[in-house]
Amino acid sequence: MESLEALVAHIQGLSGSPEEVAHLHSLLKQADFDSLRAHAATLVPFLAQLSPETHSLGYLYLLEACATSAANLTDFGGGDFLVTVADFLTKCSADQIRLAPDKFLNVCRVLKDQVMQLNMPIRGIAPLRAAVRKIQASPEQLTPVHGDYLLLCLLAKQYKAGLSVLEDDIFDVDQPKDLFLYCYYGGMIYIGLKKFPKALELLHNAVTAPMSSLNAITVEAYKKYILVSLIQNGQVPSFPKYTSATAQRNLKNQVQIYIDLSTSYANGRYTDLETFVHSNAAIFQSHNNLGLVKQVLSSMYKRNIQRLTQTYLTLSLEDIARSVQLDTPRDAEMHVLRMIEDGEIHATINQKDGMVSFHEDPEQYKSVDMVDHIDSSIQRLTALSKKLASIDGNMSCDPAYLMKTGRDRGRFDYDDFDTVPHKYF
Amino acid sequence: MDLSAVQAALSDKSYSTIAPLCDDLLLQAASRGSTTDEWPYAVHLLSHLYVNDLNSARFFWKSLPQEVKDARPELAAVWRIGQCLWNREYAGVYTAAQGFEWGPELADFITAFLERYRQRIFQLLTKAYSTISIADVVHFMGMSEDDATNYAVQNGWSLDAATKMLTVNKPKAQTNQKLDASKLQRLTECVFHLEH
Repeated sequence: MESLEALVAHIQGLSGSPEEVAHLHSLLKQADFDSLRAHAATLVPFLAQLSPETHSLGYLYLLEACATSAANLTDFGGGDFLVTVADFLTKCSADQIRLAPDKFLNVCRVLKDQVMQLNMPIRGIAPLRAAVRKIQASPEQLTPVHGDYLLLCLLAKQYKAGLSVLEDDIFDVDQPKDLFLYCYYGGMIYIGLKKFPKALELLHNAVTAPMSSLNAITVEAYKKYILVSLIQNGQVPSFPKYTSATAQRNLKNQVQIYIDLSTSYANGRYTDLETFVHSNAAIFQSHNNLGLVKQVLSSMYKRNIQRLTQTYLTLSLEDIARSVQLDTPRDAEMHVLRMIEDGEIHATINQKDGMVSFHEDPEQYKSVDMVDHIDSSIQRLTALSKKLASIDGNMSCDPAYLMKTGRDRGRFDYDDFDTVPHKYF
Repeated sequence: MDLSAVQAALSDKSYSTIAPLCDDLLLQAASRGSTTDEWPYAVHLLSHLYVNDLNSARFFWKSLPQEVKDARPELAAVWRIGQCLWNREYAGVYTAAQGFEWGPELADFITAFLERYRQRIFQLLTKAYSTISIADVVHFMGMSEDDATNYAVQNGWSLDAATKMLTVNKPKAQTNQKLDASKLQRLTECVFHLEH
């Protein structure tokens, strides 16, 4: 084996053009990193001779050897190893590190484990955010770093930071586990920010994604999906057709108490629901869902007031208080005011007569903003539909897919290629 | 830690830019493992309240260690405003903001926050009420009875002195209805495409 000094010299000499880097890569692959790992501490001084920006690939190999060695990482080189890793992730050249994605992902994982062990999740957020962008070939690609990044955001209560990866539409997924974690943690971020429609979207994906056996992430996601559905829409929709048979058959049995909660919610009586929540508070607490359950409970007033707007044009505050089981007309007024503030109903309160008048949605769909909005929606939808059509095309030419459908059905029908209902396109 | 950007935003009074600035600086500082004893916690918290981002304010407060909260009375005072906002204790916001001796760094920021908050509440009242008692306007706006009445009348509301009721004047919403011809063209093409 070459000496470490020679290796470092190679790294310094061969980090220029893509051809040089490719040559360096083959040298690095031959190098015996297992024995280096055994003396990880000796590697650290050599890292200082390299620059994270220009010698990214070589730096990555040495750094990974240090990071995955069994040694205690905090003692390294007197300096702070986490700062070295953070620096590297922020500064490294994306083109070089993508040659060795496994090594890069290892480094990211070690960083995540370390900051969690130190109980300082916030330290990992900025470096992992940079890391996601470096390793991604396109913003549509989901990486294993996504889930870890979102987890750190949740633990550090930096919910807004999580949005930076959630706002991209994911299209390219390699490992199912990455997708489930991304959807689950992403759902929790949106729940924290009270962006319930977005939360529902992500949790829905975690529940309906293809799966051959039930996984714990999906079960937890389904619990939250039920609660958020109640808060947002007042009811839990049944599984869409494309949900896996596994989820359709088994999921409900795992979450019986949540099904009972939604049944109680559907009856529309606040006191009944309150009793149910109180008597089961310990269970919801043990699932870490009690906060969300309480939001379900308080959404009931809102829902009942919204229901009134469908029946009445005007109603006295006293009648509102009585029919939604609030104590005083003043309570009803504050609830209505709150809902107007949040844009959940269109109404005006007349204090002189103690009446509330309910209005239609004043949006007339003719402002410039609305046209812009419609226009961009159409653009996005046509782009999406083109993408789906091309994937569908690829899939129906895929030999593995044809073999499977052929074996399962024994014959080909023209209709077989049209098994997904059109409305989902 | 380089806080000059935050200081500059404070002296420029461009308060709404402070929250994203602070968020980012804090994450960068944390990744370097720097100590955050000098961090302007109160300014950071108030910057979330200023843009009415109560969720971020709440999580920021929750993420702070107890000793940070205990050692900084000004920070705790800002959080009392946040609590009132979160619980929609409309009048409590003014009491909390006016019941503390703010340091020179925060005094102007608090004034600007209150001004903005008052405008937002007035817009809410305009939207939500057709008639409202003077006592309630006083409650929501945190002003004396005379000031509240004047403020409302100046904004076109009318006063019925006998019943102490104000009738709300709702200004017609001005929406920009000029359409860009190319957008209309595109919509037309799309509908045409769907129908044929």
